[in-house]
Amino acid sequence: MLKVEHLTKVYPGGTVALKDLSFEVEDGEFLVVIGLSGSGKSTLLRCINRLIDPTEGKITMDGADITAAKGAELRHIRRQIGMIFQHFNLVKRSSVMTNVLNGRLGYLNPWLSTMGIFPAEEKKRAQQALARLGIEDKVHSRADELSGGQQQRVGIARTLMQEPKLILADEPVASLDPVLAHSILQYLEQLNKDDKVTVICSLHYLDLIQRYATRVIGLKDGVKVFEGLPSEINRVKFKEIYGEEAQDIRATALE
Amino acid sequence: MKRISKILQLIGKILLPIGLIAFLIFSIRVTQPDLGKLISSAPKAGDILSQLLNPQLTTRKAEKTSLSLTIPVPCGSVPNPEPATSGPRLSVDPVCGNPGDTLTLYGYDLPKNANVSLRWILPTGGLLSIRNAKTDANGGLNEKIEIRPITAAADGKAAQISIEISLPSGKLVASQTLKDVVDTMFVTIFMALIATTLGTIIAIPLSFMAASNLMRKGKVGTIVYYIVRSLLSLIRSYEALVLATIFAMIVGFGSPFAGVIALTITTAASLGKMFSESVESIDEGPIEAVTATGANRLQVIMYAVVPQITPDFLSFTIYHWDINVRISTVIGFVGGGGIGYFLSLRINTLQYNAAGTALLAIILVVWALDFLSSEVRKQMI
Repeated sequence: MLKVEHLTKVYPGGTVALKDLSFEVEDGEFLVVIGLSGSGKSTLLRCINRLIDPTEGKITMDGADITAAKGAELRHIRRQIGMIFQHFNLVKRSSVMTNVLNGRLGYLNPWLSTMGIFPAEEKKRAQQALARLGIEDKVHSRADELSGGQQQRVGIARTLMQEPKLILADEPVASLDPVLAHSILQYLEQLNKDDKVTVICSLHYLDLIQRYATRVIGLKDGVKVFEGLPSEINRVKFKEIYGEEAQDIRATALE
Repeated sequence: MKRISKILQLIGKILLPIGLIAFLIFSIRVTQPDLGKLISSAPKAGDILSQLLNPQLTTRKAEKTSLSLTIPVPCGSVPNPEPATSGPRLSVDPVCGNPGDTLTLYGYDLPKNANVSLRWILPTGGLLSIRNAKTDANGGLNEKIEIRPITAAADGKAAQISIEISLPSGKLVASQTLKDVVDTMFVTIFMALIATTLGTIIAIPLSFMAASNLMRKGKVGTIVYYIVRSLLSLIRSYEALVLATIFAMIVGFGSPFAGVIALTITTAASLGKMFSESVESIDEGPIEAVTATGANRLQVIMYAVVPQITPDFLSFTIYHWDINVRISTVIGFVGGGGIGYFLSLRINTLQYNAAGTALLAIILVVWALDFLSSEVRKQMI
């Protein structure tokens, strides 16, 4: 489904965020990317939907060359790739409805939508997305009135509006408590299993990795140091990726 | 080495205060403050202030009569006038004088307790107001008047002292001055309003072009960013007053249009800068998120940028309207029209009562707008 070949990203300051990274993702996978902060996870996810332009290498999705896409073609690719963020990245002063509708912008008439006109069926679609995530009663609230877990669910609803083939989740539960972490990841798992959406997700906690991942990639200083099944990650591997000082960090509250 | 640097530090510590004192002395010499003059001019100041503090707001429809008396300045330049002996009349002691002398003006059989305004009718025909006075209970008048050089006789024509007696009769109505002040005040407020509106409309696109987080992503963007930014700071180095002076010369002295152009330009520049800083301080997250959905640039600005900047933009705009009203009251002095122009004309023709009316209006309007704008801004944030 997604093929990453020899991906390298060097930032203008000279920082090498990714170094000759190659891997493939199959349809329907729940791929988890692990690694320390600064190991290149965010850069990798953002290269896939071109929020960041890679320095070298090639990314293709179902044969379409993402790295070479420009303008309308790039936007067309982006709307098939949903993205969920650690800090939710909602427009705080806008209503939940507007935030969810934002997910549909790539499909809509640019002029009408810029003037704030959305077709009735899109509003209905947004309602359904919110209902699916159990927050249909928050439709008219302002986004910043919601709790963190609710905001992340709005973020997922926004992504649902894109009818994505692939979802990129950048530490989606890092700002949430362990109970909410499971609830959010369960929604992602549901999308992955029921809707056959491929998921690439960065995570830190070993128990979450073993519970949700179908496959794991470990990054260290922009280099792939591990690729395999979640069951293959033991303490030794974990320490290799996270360094010697790493404790076996877990979302212990759920054990 | 250490010792040398210590000595240098010590010298610096001694030299700095000395330098400062020298600097202050120099500035005092340059600006020539003269406290003595401030005190010796107290009577004059009292005169001016009492007129300024006595704005013309209302008038009674009054019957006006005037009397005048020729004053030969200097003595002998024209024949002394024949003194009248009956009826309302004026006399003066001495009957003539030189510039700098003080005369006493007497009035007899005038209306009792009536307001009179004293003034010179100059040989050229111009009027020079002296002060306002009141007749006593017997209809008499006794006022000291200083002879000014400007009253000297010319071409065989002498100056006259004239008094205008107004006897109230009829209803209290808004004075002509008050009507003029209200008219020009409205001109001023609308001048500020139109300039703020136009300035804001120009500032919005400029501010996006001057925001580094939106523009410095490609080569073209970076070039535009630097051009717009330098343009904004270049314009901001010109005060509205300077620009108004220039445009008054172009479109006509005293025309509100000159003020509108000047204010529009400065508003666009300063709001452009304030807006761009507001755009630069927005949260990048929503921009990332909306871009990731496949939205185009315009949609990203509309949905991720605009909601974040709207409160700031509105608040800055209202604040700037407030500033513009204040500046436009002054802009008239350099020919920009509105209340300032009215005020400068009245001051230049020594009509201090009328000037006082304008000052009162300015104070009221500025205070009211200041209050209003801070209330509105409080509501919004």
